[in-house]
Amino acid sequence: MTSSYRMQYSKKGPARYISHLDLLRSFERAGRRAGLPLSFTQGFNPHPKISFAAPLGVGTAGEAEYADIELNADLPAAEVFRALSGVLPEGLRLIEIRSIPEQSPSLMAAVDCATYRAVAKLDRPLDRKELDSAISSFMARPEIWVEPKLKAKENKKRNIRPGIFALSAESENDIIILEAELKTGSNGNVRFEQVLEALVETGGLPLKSGFVLSRTGVFTKNGQEKKTLW
Amino acid sequence: MDLLDQILPLVQKPARYTGGEWNIVRKDWDKVDIKVAFAFPDVYEVGMSHLGLQILYHIVNSRTDALMERVFAPWLDMEEKMREHNLPLFTLESFRPVRDFDVVAFTLQYEMCYSNVLNMLDLAGIPIKSNLRGEEHPLVIAGGPCAFNPEPLADFIDLFVIGEGEEAIGDFLDFLRNAKNRNLAKKDLLREAARVPGVYVPSLYRVEYREDGEISKVEPVLKGVPEIVKKRVVRDMDKVSFPTRPVVPSTEIVHDRIMIEVLRGCARGCRFCQAGMIYRPVREKKPATVLRQAAGLVRQTGYDEISLTSLSTSDYTPVRSVINALIKEHAGCGVSISLPSLRVDNFSMELAKEVQKVRRSSITLAPEAGTQRLRDVINKGVTEEDLMSATEVAFREGWQAVKLYFMIGLPTETNEDLDGIIHLAREALARGRKAGARRGRLRVTVSVSSFVPKPHTPFQWEPQASMAVLKERQAYLAAGLRERGLVFNYHDTAVSFMEAVFARGDRRLGAVLENAFQLGCKFDGWSENFHYERWLEAFRQAGLEPGWYAYRRYDYDSLLPWDHIGTGLSKQYLIREHQRAMAGKTTEDCRTGACTGCGLCSGLEVEPVYAGGERDVQLPDAIQ
Ligand code: SF4
Repeated sequence: MTSSYRMQYSKKGPARYISHLDLLRSFERAGRRAGLPLSFTQGFNPHPKISFAAPLGVGTAGEAEYADIELNADLPAAEVFRALSGVLPEGLRLIEIRSIPEQSPSLMAAVDCATYRAVAKLDRPLDRKELDSAISSFMARPEIWVEPKLKAKENKKRNIRPGIFALSAESENDIIILEAELKTGSNGNVRFEQVLEALVETGGLPLKSGFVLSRTGVFTKNGQEKKTLW
Repeated sequence: MDLLDQILPLVQKPARYTGGEWNIVRKDWDKVDIKVAFAFPDVYEVGMSHLGLQILYHIVNSRTDALMERVFAPWLDMEEKMREHNLPLFTLESFRPVRDFDVVAFTLQYEMCYSNVLNMLDLAGIPIKSNLRGEEHPLVIAGGPCAFNPEPLADFIDLFVIGEGEEAIGDFLDFLRNAKNRNLAKKDLLREAARVPGVYVPSLYRVEYREDGEISKVEPVLKGVPEIVKKRVVRDMDKVSFPTRPVVPSTEIVHDRIMIEVLRGCARGCRFCQAGMIYRPVREKKPATVLRQAAGLVRQTGYDEISLTSLSTSDYTPVRSVINALIKEHAGCGVSISLPSLRVDNFSMELAKEVQKVRRSSITLAPEAGTQRLRDVINKGVTEEDLMSATEVAFREGWQAVKLYFMIGLPTETNEDLDGIIHLAREALARGRKAGARRGRLRVTVSVSSFVPKPHTPFQWEPQASMAVLKERQAYLAAGLRERGLVFNYHDTAVSFMEAVFARGDRRLGAVLENAFQLGCKFDGWSENFHYERWLEAFRQAGLEPGWYAYRRYDYDSLLPWDHIGTGLSKQYLIREHQRAMAGKTTEDCRTGACTGCGLCSGLEVEPVYAGGERDVQLPDAIQ
C-alpha cells in the first residue's frame, strides 16, 4: 500500500547551494533519518519516488517550493510533517504537507510560471523616475534576444520577451530589489539571470555584479489567473 | 549583503564553502576554552570523505571545554575571489577566520598536499614559517600518516602528533587547557608539549649533516625532550570513541556513505606498504560494536550504503557473520553493504558476491606485480591462479569490467615482470570472454603506479627508478596492452618522483617548499595543477638536487631523516625483511604464522586483537 504527499518547503541559507540532484538525495536521507517508509523505483538503480515542481538554479533561494513524495504506508500528513521536519539540513524547511490522490498529475506538468526576487548593489543611487523608465522601456521592447549559455544544449539565440510576464523594481540608497514573473516549466523556461543580464547590458542599470536571487513562488496558470500548486 | 553571498554564485561547486550540513556541531564560542580548526589540505569532497576527520571532530566536540570546526583548501577559483576581496580563510561552522582559533590542526594524508598546507596558512593570514609566528597566532599542528616523516615540514609546523589521533588528542587538549590557564608563552608551551607522549616539536631538535649531505646527528636541544618520539596506539577499538553522528554533506563527495572501520592495521606485511607498517598491530572491533555503530549510523545519517573499511576487510575474522547480520538488519530499508578493500582471493570474491546487491560496473583487484617472483619480493601473497579465478568469478557473476592495479619500478623489476603484467591483463580478458561477458562491454583496465619508497617500510632504503626508466616501462606496457577491451592508465612519473623526494626528505626541503609556494604551487596532487618546472625551479633556488633524495640507495647504517620518529618497528626487522625481499623469500603474517618479531608489540606494549577469539600469535620474549 502506497500513499502520496505533496509538500511545500523553503530552501534558503546554505541549502540554496544544494544542486537539484543533491536535493533528491537530501530528501531521501532525511526520509531515512525520519524513519519514513520511502517508496523506491524498481530496477537496476532504485530511486526514491520524490519529484519536484521545477528545478531551481544553484544559489537561488526558494521560498515556496513543491515536491511530491511517495511512501509505502498510509500515514497521516501531520505525522509525516512532524517526522521530516526535525531531520532536514540547515536551510531546508517544511512549510506544509498534504495527502494527495494517488494518480495526481505530475507537479512538473502543472507549472506554468514562477515569481522571483533579486537583490543587488548599485554603483550609484537611482531615483524613482530613472528606475521606472529603465523598467518600462525594457518591458516595452517587443523582443529581447539572449545568447545561449556556454555548453547549453540548444545553441540558438532566443527571444525571452514573451516569457517575461511582469517586472518591477524598487531601490533604496545603493540597494536595488527587482521582482519578476517569468514563464517556467516544461513548456518553456526563462531564467531570471538572463533577464537580469539583459537589463544590465541593454537596460543601462548600473549594477555591481553578484545578485542574491530567490524564487518566491511557483504557479499554475488558468487563463490570466495564477494559482498555487496545492 | 554578505560578501560570501556575492562571491559564491561566481565559483564552481559553492556548496563546498557553505557549511550547514546535517550533524554539524556549532558551539558557543565564548563558553569553550580551546578552539581547534581542523584543516584538510585538499578540497571539500576529498576531505569530507576522510574518516579520521569525522572521528576527531566527534571526539573534540564531545568535550565541554573544546570545539572543533572544519576548513578545507578552497579551489583555485574560490581562492582567487578570496584574495581579491581580502576574505581570510574561514571555517564552515562559524565562518570565523582560521587565525582566530587557538589551534590549526592539519592532517597530512599525502606528500603532494604540502604546498596546500603552506597556501592555507597564507590564506589564513598566518605566517607560514613557525619562527615568524608570534603569541597572537594559533598553534599550528599536524598529524596523519605523513607525520611519520615530518622533517620536510619542520619549518612550518609547531608540533606534530605521531600515531593515532584519537588516542593522543585528549592528552594534548588537556595539556593545552592547562597551559592556557597558566598563560604559558609559546616557547615554554612547546617545551612542555614535547613531554606529551606522541608529540614531536621539531624546533627542539638539532640536525647535523656530514659533508656528503648525509645526516650525522639528530638530537634534542633540551633535557626532557625525548630522543625518539613514539607513536600513539589505540589499544581497544571497542572502547575508543567512534562518531555515530558524522557530518553528512549536502553535496556529493568522493566516499558518500557510512564508513565503519572494522579493524585497524594489517599483518600481511607487503614490503612497500607504509600503512601496513605504521598502523600495526592488527586490532579488530567486536562484531557487537560494529553492529551497534551501524545501527546508530543508519539512523543518524540516512545514508543508503554502509562501507566496512580497513586496509583489508576480508581479513576481518568475523567478516561473514557481520555482513549477514548487517544485511538482515538494514537491507529492508534500502541500505546496501560495500567492502572497499578486498584481496585477490576466492574468499573475497564470495564476500563481494554477497554484498553486491546492486552490481557496480567494475571490481578492482590489486596483484601489484606481474610475476610470482616479484610478488614474492614484495611479499604480496597472491598467486596467478588466485587472480585468475577471482577474475573469472567476477565476470561470471555479471561484472563486465575488472580493474587491475600494478606498480612499476619495484626493486629488482625486469622486463619479464612487465611481460607478466601484459600476460595477466590478456589472460584476464580471455577469462572474461570464456565466462561469457558481453563482448562490447567487456573491459580490463590496467592501472599502473610507480613505486615510491616510503619511510618505515622494508623498502625505505631502495632508490626509486628514474623518470626515464619509468617512462620507458610505461611505453613498453602501453605497446603491449593495445587490444580491444584493454585500457591502460598510468601515473605521471614526475609526480611520483616528487612524492619520493618528499617522502624520504629531510629538513632542508623546507626551503624548497617555501620556494614552491612562492612560485604558486598548490593542489599538486591534481595532475592539472602540477607544474614540474616550478618544482625544479624551487629546488634550484634552494641549491638542492631532488634526485639525491629519490634516486639514492640509503645505507642500513646511515641515519635516516625519520629515525627519531618511532613506529615501534625495530630497524632489525625492517633490514631482515629487506634482505628476505632481495632473496625472494616471503614472510608469513603474524596472524597465521608465528610472530615475525617486528618488535612492535613488546616495544609499545600492545597486542594484536582478533575479534574471532584468542590470539594465535606467540610473542617472543625478546626481539632479536
Ligand atoms: S610484534 Fe609480532 S605479533 Fe606484534 S605485530 Fe609484530 S609480528 Fe605481529
